Amino acid sequence: MSRREFSLNDIHLALDGELSAEERADFEHWLDAHPEMKALSARFERDRAALAAALASIAAEPVPARLEKLVSGEIRPRRSWLAYTRYAAAAAILLVVGAAAGYGIAVAGFPKPNLEDQIVGDAIVAHTMYAAEKLHVVEVGADQKDHLVGWLSKRVGTTLVAVDFSPEGFSLIGGRLLPLAERPAAQFMYQDNSGNRVSLYVTTDPQGRETGFRRYAEDDALALYWVDKGYCFAVTGAVSEDKLSAIADAAYRQLLARTAT
Amino acid sequence: MDERRRAIIDQIPRMRRYARSLVRDRDAADDLVQDSLERALSRMDRWVTGDSPRRWLFTIMHHLFVDQLRRTKRHGQIVAMMPETIGGGATPPPQDDKVETREVLEALQKISPDRRAALVLVAVEGFSYAEAANVLGVPAGTLMSRLARGREDLRMILDDISRRKMIKVVDK
Repeated sequence: MSRREFSLNDIHLALDGELSAEERADFEHWLDAHPEMKALSARFERDRAALAAALASIAAEPVPARLEKLVSGEIRPRRSWLAYTRYAAAAAILLVVGAAAGYGIAVAGFPKPNLEDQIVGDAIVAHTMYAAEKLHVVEVGADQKDHLVGWLSKRVGTTLVAVDFSPEGFSLIGGRLLPLAERPAAQFMYQDNSGNRVSLYVTTDPQGRETGFRRYAEDDALALYWVDKGYCFAVTGAVSEDKLSAIADAAYRQLLARTAT
Repeated sequence: MDERRRAIIDQIPRMRRYARSLVRDRDAADDLVQDSLERALSRMDRWVTGDSPRRWLFTIMHHLFVDQLRRTKRHGQIVAMMPETIGGGATPPPQDDKVETREVLEALQKISPDRRAALVLVAVEGFSYAEAANVLGVPAGTLMSRLARGREDLRMILDDISRRKMIKVVDK
């Protein structure tokens, strides 16, 4: 009997029942001869069991009545799929025209650009614009930090702090006042040793629901934003998502520590 | 009720489970299921008799999920929950979730959508490679590499979570 050579790939095939019965027997021998592969296979098996267990309760939940009633024909669909499917883009344009003429987008169920989207969209534009500046990156430099923080706090209407990103490798270079979605916003600009720049924004958002970190990408620039206690915060920069997450995390913790005291 | 509608209703619990691994928020996941059902109902004539309603419904849901991802690229999508370690600010986790369940679901959300979908379809929903590749509309080779990477990601993320827990304990 000629045995084929097995590899890591076969661990997946075996776990997922994609090996034939003959292959399976040979595979088991191979596993016995390769303890590290056997351990990995057992680990994948455990992770799968944990994943299945974590999701199991969802399939056991009572189904929301609206879903069953929809299929049984007791309630009507929310959307016309004929209009939606392939022509979503064209439909969106028509809807914008409709909205301008006074018909609600809500009627057709398309998401309205919300305030946070506008804020974070403007934040990215502002970052891209000012981070590229050589001479006038900021309006007030970090050498006048107290003045900067006091001024921006007054204009935004809350007590701000200049968040410290030095553990993340970025130091404050200064800040400015900006309009984001037509409201006053503070922008703090930071820079690392290689000249990469990120900015932190704070502005009011009276209608915002408190959220987790949300991601917003546009070309190279990435933004993470969150809403907390009536304020919208955003960090943005052309850095890796991991880096930006660490920065957002630090900002969230430090700003939260501020409101807690 | 006709047989086909009954067959669709039977799939709803599993559709909800799959939707929840794609989109963690319960309401958003049920909206995805509802959209998928609505679309399915509008295309009953395209459902080839004898074809598994499950594969058909999951394929529809996958297409809608991809559309939604494209839209949320502009509209913002929750990528991470707030750190829960600080008192006061973070929302408490739902009580019916055990710690381990929460960690696994959290880890799952950190895997890229492509890999996550491949992993859940095969490892949880029990689709064969051929079926899962069909649902996702990719060649079998692509499915396999996404699945292998998804598994590897899950392992590393879970390791990372338990490492962090240990660090936290040491810090205190």
